Parts: sequence; C-alpha cells; structure tokens
Amino acid sequence: MTTLDQQNSLDRGPRFTLRPSLFVPIAAVAFAAAVGLALIAAIGVSVPDAIEAFVDGTIGSPYALAASLNRACVFALVGFGFVLANRANLTNVGGEGQIAVGGIAATAVALYGHVADLPLGLAFILPMLAAVIAGALWGALAAVLKVKSGTNEVISTLLLSFIGVWLLYWCVQSPALLRKPMTSSATLPESLEIPDATQLPLLTGDYGFPVHIGLPLTLLIALVVGVLLAKTIFGVRLRAVGLNPVAAHRAGISYAKTVIVALAGAGALGGLAGALMLLGEQHTLKDGFSSGYGFDGLVAGLLSRGSIPGVIAASLLFGFMRSGGINMEMVAAVPTALVVVIQGLIVITLAGAALFIEKWERRT
Amino acid sequence: MTWELFAVFLGSSIRLAAPLLLAGIGEMVSERAGVLNMSIEGMMLMSAFASAVGAWATGDPLVGLLIGIVSVVPVSLLQAFLSNTLRANQIVSGIGINILVLGATTLAYREIFGARSRAEIPGLAKIKPPLLGDIPIIGPAVFEQVWLLYAGIGIIIITALVLRFTSLGLAIHAAGAEPKAVDKSGLSVTAVRYGVVVFAGFMASLAGAFLSIGDIHTFTEGMTRGAGYLAIASVIFGKWRIGGTTLACLLFGAATALQFQLPALGVNVPNALLIMLPYLLALLAVGGLVGRQMAPATLGEPYRR
Repeated sequence: MTTLDQQNSLDRGPRFTLRPSLFVPIAAVAFAAAVGLALIAAIGVSVPDAIEAFVDGTIGSPYALAASLNRACVFALVGFGFVLANRANLTNVGGEGQIAVGGIAATAVALYGHVADLPLGLAFILPMLAAVIAGALWGALAAVLKVKSGTNEVISTLLLSFIGVWLLYWCVQSPALLRKPMTSSATLPESLEIPDATQLPLLTGDYGFPVHIGLPLTLLIALVVGVLLAKTIFGVRLRAVGLNPVAAHRAGISYAKTVIVALAGAGALGGLAGALMLLGEQHTLKDGFSSGYGFDGLVAGLLSRGSIPGVIAASLLFGFMRSGGINMEMVAAVPTALVVVIQGLIVITLAGAALFIEKWERRT
Repeated sequence: MTWELFAVFLGSSIRLAAPLLLAGIGEMVSERAGVLNMSIEGMMLMSAFASAVGAWATGDPLVGLLIGIVSVVPVSLLQAFLSNTLRANQIVSGIGINILVLGATTLAYREIFGARSRAEIPGLAKIKPPLLGDIPIIGPAVFEQVWLLYAGIGIIIITALVLRFTSLGLAIHAAGAEPKAVDKSGLSVTAVRYGVVVFAGFMASLAGAFLSIGDIHTFTEGMTRGAGYLAIASVIFGKWRIGGTTLACLLFGAATALQFQLPALGVNVPNALLIMLPYLLALLAVGGLVGRQMAPATLGEPYRR
C-alpha cells in the first residue's frame, strides 16, 4: 500500500496530475471503442474499411467537419444544462423534450412571427429567444412538480420528454398548427421551410464549410456557465442546495427558487439546442426532429463529471462519432446502432467506476 | 357506445395494460426492497428481441419465450451488480443499460433480418378461460387473451401472497425500509437486493415477450417506446402496492386503447394527443396525486454495511 501511495505522491506534481476523474473517462471511451471495433469485425466488415469510412465522415471533408462541429454544439448545450442542474444535485434527463419544444417555438416564430424583415439579426435572434423561453418553461414544469409534490425530477423530465416529442409530432401533423398547407394528400407531415433571413448565418459564408454562428455562441455560453458555477454566489447556492438542502435553507437559501432556476436554466439550454438544430441546419420541422440528441447531450454531461471543458470534449467526441457512424453506415454497411452500443458502454462503465473515482480522490 | 364496442375497448385495454402490469409488479417488488431499476425498459426490449428471434428461428413461440427470459438474466445481473456491489447511481446505470440494449438489439436485428424486416414470427396462443370466456359478447372480446397474461396474473397473485404472508416478503419489505435491521437479523441485504432485481428482470422479460410474440407477432427497433418508464410511473402511481399498481396499469392501458377506439366511434381527437395521453396521465399521477412519504425509505440508495 505504502509504495502505491508513494508512487501516487510522486505522480502528483504541481503542474500535471493524472487524476482518476480524467483517466477513467478516457479508459471508458477506449474500452467502448475497442468493443466497437470487435463488433465491426464480428459482423464481417473489414475493420480498416470501417475506420476509413469513419474518419472520412468526421474530418474527411470540410463539410463533414462542419456537420460534426454543429452537432457537437447541440450536445454541448444540453450537456451544460445537465451540469448546471446537477450542481444542485438534480438530474435533468429531459433534453430530448426540451429540444423538441425549442424546435417548435423556433419554427412557429420564424414562420409566423413576422420576423423575417427585422434588422440586426433579430430575424433569427427572436426565434432563438422563443426556443429558450419554451425550453425554460418545460424545465421549470419539472421543477415546480418537484418543489410542490416532491416528484423525482428524473421521472418527470423523462415523461416530459415523451410528451414534448409527441407534441412536436402533433404540430407537424395538424394543418391547424405548424404543418405546411395541404395541397394534396401527398403533402408531407412537416412545416414549411423557414425564410432565409431567419436561418443562422454561416461563420465563413462558405456553403462547403457550413459551420454556423452556433459555434461561437456555444463557446460563449460555456464561458458564462463556467463562470456562473465557479465564481458567483449563484454557483455557491446551487452547490449548497445540492449538498444539503436543510443546511442551505438555514443559511437563507431558498430551496424552491434554486431548484426552479436550475431546471429552468437547463431547459433553456436544451431549448436553445433545439433552435440551433432548426435554424442552423434542418430549416423544416419534421417528426423525429430531436433524433436522440437530447440523450447524447445527457451522456456528454454525465461523462464530464461536472466540468465544462469536459462537456466540450465529450460533445466533440459524440459529434464526431455520430458523423462517422452515419458515414460508416453509408459506405461500409456498419449500422449506426453501433455508435449507440458504444455510448451505452461508456455510460455503464462510468457509472460503475464512480465509487472507485470517489474513493481514490478522497485518498489523495 | 354500444356494448360490443365497449367490450372491445375493455379487451384491448387489458391487452395493452398487460406488459405494463407484468413489468410494473416486478419493479414494485424491487423498489420495495430499495432498488430502482430504470433499466426495466432495456430489459423489456432485450426480451422482446430475443424471444422474437427465438420464435422465428425455432418456429416455436414457447422456445422463444424461454430464450427471452434467459436473455434478460445477464442484463438484470449487470444492473444488480452496478446497483448493489459497485453502488453506482441507479438512475444513471439504468439509463446506460437502456442505451446499450437499444443499440445492441437494433444492431443484431439489422444483422439477422436486414433492413427489410417484417419477417413472419410465430406467436403465443390466445386462450379463452372457461365460464368467463363463455359469456356472450364480453367473453371472446374481453377474456380471450394470450395465455402469458393469465400465467402472469398467476405469478402476481403468488407474489402478493409471498409479500404478505412469508418471511421472505418481510425481508424484502425490510430491505427497503430498514436495511440495517435486516443486516442485524443475519440476512444479507445485498443478497435480497440481488434477488429482487433478478425477479424484476424476469417479470420484465415476460412483459417484453408479451409485446413481441404475444401481441403483434413481430419485432421493431426500439419497440418498447417508453413502456418501461410507464411501468415505473405506475408503481409510483400505485403507491408501491400491488392493487394500486394494477389499477394504474389498467388506466394507462385504457388511455392507450382510446387511440384505436375513438376514431372508430367517429370522435375527432388528434392522434398525437391520444398517443401522449398515457404519458400525460403518468405525469399527473407522479406529479400531484401521490406524496413522497409513500416511497420505501431507502429507495435508490445503495446499502453499505
């Protein structure tokens, strides 16, 4: 034991520490990736071919790179929301529904809010704001249930996800809501395409590299959330309520207010993620809009263990994994479900390793 | 609404409630002992897939059912290991298992059936119980159900008796309410909690098999579509009691059955609203009608000696 401890104290230099909270996630990802490769071999696809298709789909072209980055922004926003709520010991698994209501609100305002002619970028800022508000309300709903009747937020945000996803389905099915005017029975159940002015501007203006302004926005939000959690009294309140609600109450911190703000904040970020997807990439609202991105963002938040840079790293990883996975399916006939398997393994491994990490960190 | 239509509605409510009921009772027993399995969804999906493949490959739905039951054992052991031995967050680990099973079953399904799908899969037989089944109109419409449901009701009755009248039932209850006392009495809390998770997995496997080879005789990717979460909601709604959980499941089943019934009656309600209804009811149920104090005292908390 002592030699191990000595070894440890030697490793623990002032500048560089190899902490378990860093290497365990990396080990989990490596383990899951190894299983993924073994599965590719098992289904009879050449592993080098699959890897080539994966790399092509991620960084093979400027277009692929941009698609991965845009996707990573969506995951990161949901992930920041998860970390924010989790600081108050709340588990928000409602990203999927928050994305859906954000998408609905953004579509409604972009199409029918008469915003297309507004100056100064208001044409896309107002739909974004609408999405943020819709997401915040969706998140606050779970918070109110928790404060009023003690409903576990995991169950309520999860049920709200299903409700949000079906609400979106309703909106695109019903001509009275957001479905485009039915000219024939073959009219698809989707909204009209939003006007050009309401679409998010591209960073470079080059359609070959369509990264939109969601990327700098996400980085800005990363900074804001990071500072909010680490440097402000608000961050202290969240942590206090998360660690001990009773003690926090004695210290004059309102439990109800903190829970509502935390979950509404997480919901707002989820709603914004939906706005980026709709205004930035898809431009029409369709059934299945949220595409599981809410769960990817949740996993990114889990992986990060509460760190904002960690969320960014995990989101980039998943952004690239999704893009690479899609290309593997098209080029190398490897089903995208493989990526889902890898994600599941990562979550399970990390959940199982949490005790080990805690013990280790307490010891050092 | 005519009697005939009402009987059909009642029959389909029971049919749609059946998988929730099977999974819900298993989860209730597990939660009584203090273990929350968010992975019920994944366990159901695993069995829905394995039993469909088993029935398709062997041509015998009974073999399919057995394969479905066996396929869930490793999943429930994994959940039990994570929850009890590694003391992992039960919600996170459960969701992880659900993601893994969704990916794995989709992958395996594509490999076995290809993207075309809709292979003919032999299903479990329906039976009409004597007496009840002979009632005119109501008999065939309401009571002619897949035999697995009747078998499941038998298991649920036995479960109720075990919980109420045996020392095992007491141990399960105590493991959730006062685990230290169980420990002091010489029983292992960990063993009880492993047992209940495996039981929840067994019940979820019956529920999954009911979905694929009992009800619609096919497998579709991610076919549980949140049924596992509804089962968990029904436990909360039913205040961790067998009778309450059963009623909650029937209510969710009836809400789902309305989807098919109302359009037949010419009532014009948006389809999406009807699909949403069980989730909406579940949200209202967990949000307003029951208090927190009803939950087993140590629900979701790993036990540490």
